[in-house]
Amino acid sequence: MTSRVCRTCGGSDIDVDQARGSAVCTGCGSVLEDNIIVSEVQFVEGSGGVSSTVGQFVSADGPVKAPILGSGFHISVGKESRAQTLQSGKRQIQQLGSQLQLNQHCLDTAFNFFKLVVSKHLTRGRKMEHVIAACLYLVCRTEGTPHMLLDLSDLLQVNVYILGKTFLLLARELCINAPAIDPCLYIPRFAHMLEFGMKTHEVSMTALRLVQRMKRDWMHTGRRPSGLCGAALLVAARMHKFRRSVKDVISVVKVCQTTLRKRLTEFEDTPTSQLTIDEFMKVDLEQECDPPSFTAGQHKAKMQQLEQELARKLDEVEGEISCFKDEIETELEKSRPKLRGVYAAYTKEIAPEEEEVLSSTSDPEETEETEMQATTQHLTQDFLCQVIQEEEGQGKTADEGFCDQETEPETLGTTTRPQVTPLSVILGKLPSAARLGLQESFHTFAGSETGEVPQSGELDLKDIDDQEIEKYILNEKEVEVKTELWMKQNAEYLKEQKEKEERINKEKEQGTYKEKKKKYKKREQIEASTAGEAIEKMLEKKKISSKINYDVLRDLNGVTGSPSTTTSDPPEGNATRKRLSRRRRKTSEVNPDLSVNATIMGKRFRRLISSTPKKKKTPPQVETAVTMATKPTTTEAAAAPTPDAIPDTGSTPPAAPPPAEEEEEEEELEEECVSALQLVGDYGCEEEEVF
Amino acid sequence: MDSSGDEALDIIITNVVATFRTRCHLNLRTIALEGTNVIYKPEDGKVLMKLRKPKITASIWSSGKIICTGATSEDEAKLGARRLARCLQKLGFKVNFSAFKVVNVLAVCSMPFAVHLIDFTKNNRPIASYEPELHPAAMYRIKTLKATVQVFSTGSLTVTGPNVQNVAAAVEHIYPLLFECQKPKPLCK
Repeated sequence: MTSRVCRTCGGSDIDVDQARGSAVCTGCGSVLEDNIIVSEVQFVEGSGGVSSTVGQFVSADGPVKAPILGSGFHISVGKESRAQTLQSGKRQIQQLGSQLQLNQHCLDTAFNFFKLVVSKHLTRGRKMEHVIAACLYLVCRTEGTPHMLLDLSDLLQVNVYILGKTFLLLARELCINAPAIDPCLYIPRFAHMLEFGMKTHEVSMTALRLVQRMKRDWMHTGRRPSGLCGAALLVAARMHKFRRSVKDVISVVKVCQTTLRKRLTEFEDTPTSQLTIDEFMKVDLEQECDPPSFTAGQHKAKMQQLEQELARKLDEVEGEISCFKDEIETELEKSRPKLRGVYAAYTKEIAPEEEEVLSSTSDPEETEETEMQATTQHLTQDFLCQVIQEEEGQGKTADEGFCDQETEPETLGTTTRPQVTPLSVILGKLPSAARLGLQESFHTFAGSETGEVPQSGELDLKDIDDQEIEKYILNEKEVEVKTELWMKQNAEYLKEQKEKEERINKEKEQGTYKEKKKKYKKREQIEASTAGEAIEKMLEKKKISSKINYDVLRDLNGVTGSPSTTTSDPPEGNATRKRLSRRRRKTSEVNPDLSVNATIMGKRFRRLISSTPKKKKTPPQVETAVTMATKPTTTEAAAAPTPDAIPDTGSTPPAAPPPAEEEEEEEELEEECVSALQLVGDYGCEEEEVF
Repeated sequence: MDSSGDEALDIIITNVVATFRTRCHLNLRTIALEGTNVIYKPEDGKVLMKLRKPKITASIWSSGKIICTGATSEDEAKLGARRLARCLQKLGFKVNFSAFKVVNVLAVCSMPFAVHLIDFTKNNRPIASYEPELHPAAMYRIKTLKATVQVFSTGSLTVTGPNVQNVAAAVEHIYPLLFECQKPKPLCK
């Protein structure tokens, strides 16, 4: 209100009273303005004593041109897309939030988050529901309300992890640090749900203490807070002599039985569980425990260690045994000097043979490789010698320790060399494997050095054993067998593919080949001369609801519409026939004047089958009590089998009303249709009166 | 080497994923019918082939793109890939081994101490995230290395990254942070 100068006295001190809507000069008292247009909110009492506001708040950042008339709830009245999004988001937040019993402050905060999200374009590619839920959960976390993500997913029937993903993303993008969940938050809520009556508070306090104890004992990291709460509440309830079974608790807390039991056993392992109830209330133990999974891991580690030690000991024992074995052999050899000489010659033969064998299994023809072989063989031989010497050494000390017999170290020493080769024969497998391994690593190393990126995709065939690869490929006969099996197994799929191809080829020939993209057909304009006709046709096209009392509807236009419809029947019939056949592979013909009646009877599309189209007919399963003006004979013939299927024969005389047949694509809906029919059938006996 | 002082941490690589292309169309039906150890998935349009020698599973598409998983080292992955290509060659396709790339490496590591996840998340606020309702581990994403580390309260880690070096670097990176938030050695019962 601009302060003006008073006309009479010239004073500029003007008092504007918003309530009265008047501007008065305080100097001389003259009224300068009356009935000022005010921007206050007025209240009006409506019917039933409900007071409502007059006028509306127009948002400052909305579109400039939005004059919202009337109730102002028109969402899509020429608003910008952004405003629409925000408005619809706000509505959904209100809806969800009220289901969660969040207060207005939280909802406003959630809406602010949502606005941020929209401005950062994070709603793109995500379902609005998920985004809204994530915003709400963010608020819950920041405010510390006892709502779980599970609750939200329950309400929306969406997988928790999907919501969680969205939530995490939003939190990251908006740089909101949601504080970690404290299980203590959930206790009062669950306690309330478990109905402890007067003692709810006490039980909650006990459960709280338990949870705090669990926290100290490191039971709560990495676990769902609801599981801990469940365990704590169960124990607390028992402590206060309430009988709550595991089932009750899990239905409230939403974890499964196994989890709860596990938590209980873990708690059992802590020293706190050994205290009595009174002690627990009074004393707080100082020591803390390791988390249970840590102890389990440590336990495992200990077991492993033990096993390792055992294995080592076993090895040692084996080593000793082999030493004894060697000694025995040497003794035997000593007793047979001739054989020894032959044996030595034999061993000499074996050694080169062995080398040849080993060399033949390797990949061919490169000098590098043969050199590698030689070196690796040497290496392994040396290695073996070392090992054996060690063993012998051990054996020596062991012998000296244990055996009474004096073993001659010299004999042992002399026998080491001829020993080497037989052992290498015995241990023949080891070196070859080691050698292959070494070779491979050498090869890959060499390969990597020599400009590894194969020039335009030449396949490096080094060390790919062709023989091995051959094993991966089946031979002719196996291929046949497999082909047969596969064909049998996938027969359906193959058939489908064939049919599809045939269909496509046919359509291509006909020139009506349509691309696979779904085209949403525009609603065809209904051409009708009267309102009644229009309604009829509309009813034809649309799927019918079972909640409308069609009798009334029919009566509304039945009297006026019937004479005009009869004339327009035949031409319309053709047109509709064509339309129908193209659209839904339905073969039946429409009888428009009865279509209204027809469509009355049940949920689905009802069609009367005429004699002319001879396409496939499904056996009539549902009958409606509709009379037919034209062509009663053919329908009567069809009516004969139908009586069997009629559930409500009583109300409908089968002879006069022809059956309405239906081509059902899904049988499940049939039962629904039948029941709807029954409902409607029971409703009105007026159907019999039709025509 | 791992800034642990006394003992070295064992980083065990459990999975290496690699892709390559054969630059030619492959007839999946032929592969399915003539190969051993193959599973044909017509609805996905791919063939799964499993090799024994480096234990590898490969998904083969008809466009010629192949993804190899299950190897325990980068070299093994390459070897397996080449074996596979050789196998396809034998089946009669003109295979060109090109664009071999290791895409993902998954490794497991264990700390000798337990970690207090809530403190750890608090200290590393935007980079680390911990949602006990969803997953028992805290997730730490290192943008520079493009690696993700999942930290469990027992002290074991799961590290994923584009190659082995990044994985090792990630462990190095995260070790001091975890050391700060370790759980004090309590008295056990």
